[in-house]
Order: sequence, then C-alpha cells, then structure tokens
Amino acid sequence: MTVTAGASGSPGAAKARRRRREAGLGFLLIAPALVIFSVFVFFPFAKNFELALYRNPPFPGLPSKFVGLQQIGDVLGSSDFRHSLWVTVLFALLTVPAGILLGLLLAQLANQRLRGMAIYRTIFASTVATSVAVASVIFGTLMNPQVGLLPWLGIHPTPAILDNPTWALPAVALATIWQTLGLSFILMSAGLQAVPEDVLEAAQVDGASAPMRFWRVTIPLLSPTIFFTAVVGSIFAFQTFGQIDLLTRGGPQNKTNVLTYFIVTELHDHQNPGTAAVLSIALFLITLALTLLQLRFLERRVHYAR
Amino acid sequence: MPRRLWQISASLAISAALITTVLPGLAGAATPRAAGAPACPVNALQKVSSPVQITMWHQFPRANEQAIQKLTDQFNSSQNKVHVTLVNQTTYQDLFNKYVAGLSTGDLPDVAQIEDEGLQQMIDTRSVLPVQSCIKADHYTELSDFLDRAVRYYTVKGVLWAMPFNVSAPVLYYNKKAFTKAGLDPNQPPQTLDQIKADSQKLKASGAVTQAGFGLKDDPWYFQQWLAKTNNTFVNNGNGRNGRATQVTLNNATGQASFAWMADMVKGGLAVTNDYLNPSSALNNLLGVGNGNLGMTIDSSADLGTILQVLQSGQYPNVDLGVGTLPSPPGSGGFRVGGAALYISAKSSPQKQAAAWQYLKFLNSAASQAQFAVDTGYIPNRKSAVTVPALQTRWAQVPGFRVAYDELLNGAGNAASAGPVFGDYLGVRQAIVDAEGPMFTGTTSPKAALAAAISKANSVLAAYNSRVGG
Amino acid sequence: MTDTALLLERPVPAAQEPAPARHRTWRLLGRYALLSVLAFIVLFPIYITIVNSLLPAPQIAAQPPKFFPSQPIWSTYQKAWVGGHFGRYLLNSAVVTTIIVVGQLLTAILAGYAFAFLRFPLKRFLFVAFLATLMIPFEVTVVQNLTTVVDLGIYNTYAGLAVPFLATGFGAFLMRQAFLGVPRDLEDAAALDGFGRWRFLWRVAVPLSRPAIAALGVFAFLTAWNQYLWPLLVTKDEHLRTVQIGLRQLRNTSLDQVNVTFAGVIIAVIPLAILLLVFQKQLIRGLTAGAVKG
Repeated sequence: MTVTAGASGSPGAAKARRRRREAGLGFLLIAPALVIFSVFVFFPFAKNFELALYRNPPFPGLPSKFVGLQQIGDVLGSSDFRHSLWVTVLFALLTVPAGILLGLLLAQLANQRLRGMAIYRTIFASTVATSVAVASVIFGTLMNPQVGLLPWLGIHPTPAILDNPTWALPAVALATIWQTLGLSFILMSAGLQAVPEDVLEAAQVDGASAPMRFWRVTIPLLSPTIFFTAVVGSIFAFQTFGQIDLLTRGGPQNKTNVLTYFIVTELHDHQNPGTAAVLSIALFLITLALTLLQLRFLERRVHYAR
Repeated sequence: MPRRLWQISASLAISAALITTVLPGLAGAATPRAAGAPACPVNALQKVSSPVQITMWHQFPRANEQAIQKLTDQFNSSQNKVHVTLVNQTTYQDLFNKYVAGLSTGDLPDVAQIEDEGLQQMIDTRSVLPVQSCIKADHYTELSDFLDRAVRYYTVKGVLWAMPFNVSAPVLYYNKKAFTKAGLDPNQPPQTLDQIKADSQKLKASGAVTQAGFGLKDDPWYFQQWLAKTNNTFVNNGNGRNGRATQVTLNNATGQASFAWMADMVKGGLAVTNDYLNPSSALNNLLGVGNGNLGMTIDSSADLGTILQVLQSGQYPNVDLGVGTLPSPPGSGGFRVGGAALYISAKSSPQKQAAAWQYLKFLNSAASQAQFAVDTGYIPNRKSAVTVPALQTRWAQVPGFRVAYDELLNGAGNAASAGPVFGDYLGVRQAIVDAEGPMFTGTTSPKAALAAAISKANSVLAAYNSRVGG
Repeated sequence: MTDTALLLERPVPAAQEPAPARHRTWRLLGRYALLSVLAFIVLFPIYITIVNSLLPAPQIAAQPPKFFPSQPIWSTYQKAWVGGHFGRYLLNSAVVTTIIVVGQLLTAILAGYAFAFLRFPLKRFLFVAFLATLMIPFEVTVVQNLTTVVDLGIYNTYAGLAVPFLATGFGAFLMRQAFLGVPRDLEDAAALDGFGRWRFLWRVAVPLSRPAIAALGVFAFLTAWNQYLWPLLVTKDEHLRTVQIGLRQLRNTSLDQVNVTFAGVIIAVIPLAILLLVFQKQLIRGLTAGAVKG
C-alpha cells in the first residue's frame, strides 16, 4: 500500500529488491522494542510455562519436583482462584464504566464556552498527577474510622469501611475511580472536542433538543473514544495491584483479593513461583479473551465517523 | 479483526512454548548443601589492616533509624577493624522479599534484620551462619545475661540461629481518664479477657467512650500469647522446636475461649476490630484511644515511645495513658517475645562474618541495649542493661516502659512461651485472620471459625513443608 | 487527525435557545455552581491532604475535623524531605524517568512507523505480540527480570532501573495510530521530493504527530515516576533509590508523624503537577490519536 505504483525500474527484480529493503527496514525499526520485549516480557513470561509444571521450592538451591499438569489443575480448580477471578471482574465492573461515565459527564460540562473554563478543566484533569500510591494514602485516610471526616458525618460501619467485607471493594474502587478520573476526563474531552460543530448545528436546526443531540449525535461520534477507553481501561483494571496492596492487602476475608494481588502474594509472601506461574498464565489468557470479546461485541456498536 | 487476533494469539502461544523449550531450563536443581552448622571464623579479623566493610539491612522507621545509626556510629568509631553501613529496606516484608531475591542474584547483606516469625524460613534458605557457631568459636559467655525468653525464641534444636536485637511484647494501652469517668479504678487495668469485657461494658454504658470500650487489632500474635500463657503451643512438635511443625495446635480450651471472646466482644458492640494486615488501619485503635472513641487497646510495646511524644504535645487533654500487662486467660505460662533478630549471612566472606559477629556483640552489650531501649522503647534483651542509670531514670519517669520487660520475665519458660517456629508464617497468619472475619460479622460461629482456621493453617503448613522437602 | 487537533481549540458552542436575559443569568449561575461543586469534589481529597500535612499530628484525628490549619506547621515538609531522602531520591527519579521517557519515545516512534507505513513478513503477528505485552503485568515477571538484570551486569545502576521500561506495547500502539492519521498523499509528495523514508519520518510524520508524542511522553513520565517495587529490588544501596521508596519509608509510619507522611505525598506529587500544567493541552490532543482511528 505504501509502495508507490509509478516508480520506475525493471519491474520484477527491482520491486523484489525494494520489498526486501522495506522488510529489512521494518525489522530494523521494530528491533529495539522487540529486543526489550523479548528479554523483559516474553522470556520471563515464557518461563511461567515451565514453572507451572513443577512444584517449586520457596528458596533457590532446593530441588523442584515435576508434577505435570497437576499443579495447573489444582490452582485453576481451587475456590481461591474462582473467587479471585470473580473479585477481579467485579472490580473492573465497578471501576471501568463508572470511570467512563464520570469522565464523560465532566468533559461534557467542561465543553462549554464560559469564562474561566480553563481553570475547571485543569482541576478536572488534576488527578492525573496523582499516583496509585498517593491516592491510596489519601483515601486510606479519608476512609479511616478514627480520622476526622467519616465519624463526623455519622458514617461508621462496623467493621470500618476498609475492613468491611461489604464495603472494602467498593471503597478501593472509589479511590481508583478518583485516581483515574483525570485520565478519563482528558480522554473524553479530547473525543468531545473532535465532534464536528457543523453536525451538531445541523441537528439543532432540525429541531433536536439538547439531550437528543447528546444521545443521537455526540455519543455515536464519541463511541470510538469510549471504546478505546473501555478496552484499555479493562486491561489495566485486570492488573490492579498497588491500591489493593496499600489499602486492604486483599482482605477482609479475601474480598479484595484481585488476581494480580493474588499472584504477587503467592510469589512474595509464600515464595511459591509455581502457583504464581499458573495464575499469571491464566490472567494473561483471561485478559486476552476479554479484549477479544470486547473487540467483537463492543466494536460493532462503534460508529467510525471518517 | 477478531479472527485475525485469534490466529495471532494461537501463534503467540506456540512461540511461547517454543521459547520455553529452546531456552535453558530453570529446574536444574543445585545439589543441596550438607546440613550441619558451619564454623564461624571469629579469628579472621586478626590480620586485617584496613576496616572490613559490612552491610546491614534493617527496616527501622525514622526515630528508631536514628537510634540504630547512633549505635552503629559508636561501633564504627570504637575500633578500626570493622565498618558497618546500614541500608533501610523500608518494611520487614520488603526486606525479606529482597533477601529472597538476593539468594538468586547474589546481592545479600552481611547482617539482616528479620522479624521474629521469619525464623523457620530463614533456616530453610540455607543462607544463615547460626550465631551459635560464633558463640562457640568465640567462647562467648554472656548469653546467660540475656533474657531467657529471647534466646529461647531463636533457638531450634539447640542451635541459636540469630542474635535477638529489638525485642517487644504486646501490652494493654488504656485511658485512665475514661476509666475514672466510667467509675473504674484507673490503676487497676483488666488482667483477663473477661475483665476487658466487663470494663468495656462500663466504659460504653457510662458514655466515657463514644465508639467502644476496646479496640481489637486482629493480630494472631496476641492469640499466640494467650496460648502460651496457658501453656499451650501454637504448632506441634514442641512448637516446631523438636522437629518441623506440621499442624497448628489450636483446638483446646484457650483456642475456643479466645475465639468466642473475640466474636462476643465485636458482635456485642463492645469492641471494634481491624485487620492487622491492613497497613491503612494499623494505627486506628491507638488513634481511637487518643480521640476518645475507644477506652483501651492492645498493641506492641514498641509503640510507647512515639505515643508518649504525641501525648506530650498537649493535643490530647482528655487522655491520661496507662500501660498494663497484656490481659490473658489465666495461666502459669509466660509470654513470648516479638520484634526482630539479626542474622549473619553464610554467603559472606570469613572476614565479613567475623566482622558481623563483632558488630552483633556490640549491639547486644548491656550499654548498647540500655541506650537503644531508652531511645526507642524496645525491651532491653540483657538483664544487666536494667542496671544502667539512663534506663533506670527512664523507667522511673515512665513506668509503662517496664511493663513489657516484666512480662517477659514472668511465667514458666517452656516450649509454649518460647514461641512457635513454622513456615510459611504469612500464610498461617493470613489463614487465621481470614477465618476470624466471618465470626465478627456473625456469618459463622466462633467454633466453625476456629475449625476453619485450623484446617486452612494446616494446609498452609503442609504445602510449605512439601515444597521444602520436609 | 490534524483536523482533530484544530477542532480542539474551538469548544462546541453552548446551545442558544432564545430566553429572557434574566433566565440566562440564572442559567449561567447554575452552570458555574454545578461546575464548582464538581471541582470541589474532585479537589477535596488533595485539599484535605494539604491541610493534614500542615496540622499537628494529633489534630488529624480531631473531632470535628479541621478543614483549615489555623497554625500551619511547615516543618513537616522539612521533616519529610529529610526522612524520605527526597533530595537524593528526586534527582534519581528525574534521571531514571528521563532515560525511560526518551527511550520509550524512540522505540515507540520507530516501531509505530514500521507498523503504520512498512510492509514486512509477520507484521500482524508482531503487532499483536506487541499488544500482548500490555496484558502481562510487570509484577508477574519481576523476579526473573531481576536475575536477567544481574546477568546483564546492570544491577544497581541507572541502566538497571531504566532498561526494562525502554519500550511499551502501549507506546508502539499509540504511535502507530497517530502515524496512520498522517495523510498518505504527504508520503507520496515526500517521495517525489526525493525524501528517503528516514527523512520523511523525522521531517513529516513526527512533526505532524507531536501531540501523540507529547501524550506518550507524559504517560511514560507518570508510570516511570510512580514505580516502587522495581527500584527497591534492583538497587543495592540507598544512593540509587527513587521517590516512591522515600514515600514508602515515610508511610512506614509512627503515630507522631502522620502529618509528615502527607507532606511527603505532596512533595512526590508536585513535579507531576507542574508537568501536567505544562503539557495539559498536548495531552488532550495526543490521546485522541489513539482513540479516533479504530
């Protein structure tokens, strides 16, 4: 497609040579990234396929024992794994749609021609500057049953929010939504500002009300942005680790034990690289499947304007 | 698009499989090293001309970090054969993770500070030079002056593996003003679990506290203490000291009573509870006592120093802090130590090992222990440290500092009060805390919770043991 | 894609239904009120953290809570600076982050260009392999990577801190999408002018994709700046450590120092906040590049 048809030279040989050179350049250009991925992503990940087949000692120097598929079956068949997967899905459902909706709401509101709007935009985007660690410290304090705010407002469930089997996961989700709100706002603003003015004006001339214009014109034109955010957001939601580590450590009663946290505790708390390997492969395949599903079902509804 | 992705993911999987088979295997297990304690080269420093550089990993936060740095500076300037550099690895867990990683990468310290329950796993790393070897080689005779409980804790099958250093024990913290307001004697803190309950009822009924009488940090450490006090071990095989622990030993009167009491307190609204594992709520109960929400709580004696600093700022006019002996079911047993110990690496050179031993001896001298106790609030692990004037002055000013020390002197010294040795310790802790959760919300009975804790903890022990080939 | 960028500067006009002037004023006030309430909610967690960083530690748990520090204690920032070793750690974070950002931009631009403009065998397979790297959390590979870094002899160096992050699937994906937005006829024109592919990339494609590059740069910065586990594992001594480790050391906190932890949080955020203010516009433009083209 990029090779211009009109180029001169003896047709067959020259074309083949150009093709080869193009391919060579292609490989050359992707080589730096490919080398990094091979060494630091593919290679260590591939090791999981081997680790999964062995019962591994907690510390190096002790013998490993080949157990074939047994460990894989044990881990994937365990209620711990099913529970963790469910928690992960729940967490993604709590964070991804809410994040998109809130980002869209703020973006729509900030997309007005008003004096001082730049300040509001900066504020709405501000949480991008925080990190998971920062958001965790902040919300850990805000939701603390002894520190100021909540008891003052008369909110003190027993057990306290982050120790509460019912509320811990929504609480971590809330911190996550806040932390990613800036990003969601930026993404949605970018999408909104790309909606052509003339289309909206035409709709207005046709007598469409403001809500109708929003649902019938803006949302369809925004669907690629929403789609992109949903796909990437889900992938990241499935890899949630930091806020769990800092706010709940997977508790209470494993109610916030998402897959990535589960993997890390197997690896670091229990020094069990075998089960961690099985879980890592499972997480990868599940994320891949989820992405494919989204591509298949969500993308159908996406309206590509151009 | 999706079909394309399927094809590609299939080929991805194939290539991953290819990479696995082509690349060199990881399984190649090294031959296990011969068991039996290696010798400690205590004389390796004799011919040293310039100071031997050694590194210690620790996890002390701020004020305590300054205290250990002060001691280390004193050591470095007191002689010219050894120079110690401290590296702060932020938390016990991060430190241990980095240590385990170091077993593969070779980046290990010469001395590592590992929390109490890491003992079994440290032994299993086969990377430790037991200090017993150095004691023998150096004809070190001061061990008899150490707190017996501290030495027993780190001794397995007659071998002392690590030098106890920062020793602590749980104590009761309570607000004397709230006690007075509730009509209780502020100088008679509860001594048993039943008395905690009775006092909590009065605290709450009188309005002396706004939330609950008692803040229960759900830490299995306290539960272990109650077992020890009633002469029960926590795990079998002599608390893991005669042979590898294979089962927890919780199904006894103390185990049942403790679970029932905890559930009763929380469900009855007499206690609030929080998971000790949760870093965001670690200080909740102490804060609660401070702001009048709670009347008392149990926490580590190591916290007393900073608590006093806060109180001295005058921001808590309604708090007059009392420190009481850890309440427990009545029994003739004793409490076990908490805190951490210092391990010498077997992978270090003879000179560095000898240097590490000199450093550990210094840190555990009576003078050093007294100074560290004054600076931090940790329990001095030398009996003669108690006669050092600075510590005597400190204890006279704040008698609360002495409470934890006395706890460790009292009661029978046996396998139960020596404390348990087992792996993996985080897994067992987690199993117990997870099992307790539902009984606090009333989803299960304390009996069922105890049964769940036992079965989960046993499977954790079995899984770990099978992986170390025990 | 270029028209997207142009449109950004022109917000969609507010609907202009005919209404009496008085109504319009009320509506305007209503809009500002709503915006302000939302801005307050978004900012409140950060505000209360700043307040807490300036309060005496015991007052953080006071009832009723303090919403304004009557006698701010600025010394908490000095304590956090010392306790979190921020002088040294901020410098390290800046060095490592810069290496990572530059590296990621380079690898992403090169790979993105190859995937957008060139034909070569296994292209689709390789592209999805790049995407697949997004689905493997770094935590999963961290132990093996540590061994690799030791074997490569870059343990306890800036290189060891940075090298594993010099390429990301996200970056290659984003740059490919951005380059796909460069009009084809520009490439043809460049070819006629005798531009080689290399010159076309740097003289035409890259300048046209500046917003995406800026966005990627900011993202690379944020993720690199916020790393904790890897810097802790891959450094031997304290002089190579980074900001988040300092923050963790402050978090491993004792009762009297809660306010210092909050001061540390604010210190760690400030560089990011400055970055955001400078790059906000580019960020918004760049992200559309990934989104709009499917």
